Amino acid sequence: MSRKLGAVTLALGILVGSMALKSALTNHNTNSGTALTANGPDPVPTPHRKS
Amino acid sequence: MSGSVAQFIWYAGTALELAFVVCSVARRSFLRYFFLNLYFILTIGSSVARHLILGDFGVDSAEYRYVYFYTDALLTVALYLALISLYNRVFGELRFGKYVRFASVVLLLGTALFSYGVVAQSTDRLTTTSFAYELSQNLYFVGLVLTYLLWGAVMKLRETRTRLVQFVLSLGLYFSAYAAIYALVNLGGGPHSDSVVQIMAPLMGCFLPMSWTFTMWRHSEETRMMTAQLAAVPR
Repeated sequence: MSRKLGAVTLALGILVGSMALKSALTNHNTNSGTALTANGPDPVPTPHRKS
Repeated sequence: MSGSVAQFIWYAGTALELAFVVCSVARRSFLRYFFLNLYFILTIGSSVARHLILGDFGVDSAEYRYVYFYTDALLTVALYLALISLYNRVFGELRFGKYVRFASVVLLLGTALFSYGVVAQSTDRLTTTSFAYELSQNLYFVGLVLTYLLWGAVMKLRETRTRLVQFVLSLGLYFSAYAAIYALVNLGGGPHSDSVVQIMAPLMGCFLPMSWTFTMWRHSEETRMMTAQLAAVPR
């Protein structure tokens, strides 16, 4: 049980750290609208006009 | 970037993805690295779907954006599963496999909930496309942090399996390059920021299949290396 709680705590810690990193990188210019897409060499569309 | 160069990069990347699957079948490692293969098979399928939609509607159409961001979310989840399968291989011998799987499910659900919360709070209309986009972006950063943690574990445990070490190292370089592009664009925020992404992102999209294919082709499962050599600083 304690190991499962440890796994949950670790997972949430990683989530918080990841979102903090994302905030740090996007802090200065939140309106750039740049899509960060890490899958494949296909042309990247702009995400501004979401349907 | 001109259309012909973009198309060349696209075809080259797709060929490299196919090469990884063919190599792993030829080296009889398809099932051993099933989730890595699954990721590339899905990437090839997405490329075909995107190519068809792009030909009919164009890069700035709502249809292409819809298909692109949906398939991107799917591929990011597949890449996450591939990363967790590498975790399982590294920690499998320590009998932590069960806890790794449990934590990965919690992390995936947590990221999905967080993404939903962000989209629901935003001033834009809540759409499934915006949720897919947000989930993909957030899961990417989770993958980035997980890859660094895995690299730390590989170094600490002195992992010697060459394929495993090089897969993790390539993934770390791949994620780091994307984070660098992202930071450059967001911190700079110049008028050409979208152009940088349009050029660099597809080029980096070729890097991962190329390095993994090279690893799969060059090294067998029995090949071993000293991870201490990777961290050693020559004096």
